[in-house]
Amino acid sequence: MGELLTPDAGLIFWTIVTFLCLVAVLKFAAWGPLLHAVEAREARIQADRDAAERARAEAERIQKELEARMAGVQAESKELLAAATKDGEALRAKLKAEAEADAQAVKDKTFAELAVEKNKLVAELRKEVATLSVLAAEKLMRNSVDEDVQKSVLAGFFKDLDAAKANRN
Amino acid sequence: MNFEHILAHHLVDRKFSHHIIARLPFLGAVDLGLSPLIVTMWIACAISVLALTFAARSQSAAARRARAIFEPAALFVRDDILEPIFGRHASFYLPYFLTLFFFLLTCNLLGLVPTMSGVTANPNVTAAMALCTFGLIQFAGIKEQGLVSYVVHIVPGGVPWWLWPLLFVIEVFGMFAKCISLCIRLFANMLAGHVVSLAFLCMIFIFAAMNKAAGLGMTVPAVGLALFIYVMDVLVSFLQAYIFTFLTALFVGGAVHPH
Repeated sequence: MGELLTPDAGLIFWTIVTFLCLVAVLKFAAWGPLLHAVEAREARIQADRDAAERARAEAERIQKELEARMAGVQAESKELLAAATKDGEALRAKLKAEAEADAQAVKDKTFAELAVEKNKLVAELRKEVATLSVLAAEKLMRNSVDEDVQKSVLAGFFKDLDAAKANRN
Repeated sequence: MNFEHILAHHLVDRKFSHHIIARLPFLGAVDLGLSPLIVTMWIACAISVLALTFAARSQSAAARRARAIFEPAALFVRDDILEPIFGRHASFYLPYFLTLFFFLLTCNLLGLVPTMSGVTANPNVTAAMALCTFGLIQFAGIKEQGLVSYVVHIVPGGVPWWLWPLLFVIEVFGMFAKCISLCIRLFANMLAGHVVSLAFLCMIFIFAAMNKAAGLGMTVPAVGLALFIYVMDVLVSFLQAYIFTFLTALFVGGAVHPH
């Protein structure tokens, strides 16, 4: 077994030469193309990753922009809604006031008409009552009374009646 | 039946022919004659070149499948071994380390194939690989720092001046020790698998020499244990290729970044 440990310069020489030749051959024949392919693939992956990063950043920017725009739109719509509500309230109040004014006018007009009608009816009723009273008095007295006298008597009668009514009130 | 002879037969490299080209002072005659181990190493190189070139260059479905195996391994060497140590220098040293990893892995695995020699179970081969690492440490240190700065930074900063010569010697020895440890670690780990497997198989014949029935009874457990060790050797092949590559990167990285 001592032979195994005997230095063999020839074997050392051949090993070094073989190994260095192998380094040179493999560098050009194998490692160059293999590593270039790997580096190209890594560069492609890096480029894809960069593009994806850029796309993500762009998407995030667009999303933020949309969110900001959406917030603006929401604020604007809220403002518009508030303004519309305010306008509606004002319009309602105005319409209500107009309706109330109209209703009051109709009511006043109706009351006025009713008062005129009432006065007219009262006057007609007075006249009718007077006529009937005179007729009744005529029949009672069985004699005719001068028309001017009738009028003066009736005027006195109604005067007394109004005075009595005023005293009651 | 001599276990040592069997081991020597399987592990010692015997040359086909002898071509002495020079007689060096310390090494003696440099015999560049070919041997089964050198041929196995070349076969490993041929397999590496063919498989990796096919995977890297061909566009066929088989090449894609091969790439799916080699690429993760190459990326592992680049991303998990070199880049943490070398940083921006990683791409320059990458071909060396990728070749180192795949060369050692192929040699380790080829040594497990019956009739093939265990290339990395020979100390001369691992010493040559360690020498390459040593050379790379010097090359990287001088290239990245410059000769003077590299020599100055062999000794860590902040050392009192009178300790500097002593520490310089210690650090230089440490540099050699690192490479020697690389050499012995790979050689011993790869040799151990062969030795233990052969020891288990030899137990059959040792027991058979005592009693034929005992030898027969020993067959199944011995082969089972030898197969278990064989499977362990496959794992050790990957592990040792990784460890050698990683430690080489660490030592070279220390020269590239002295602080």
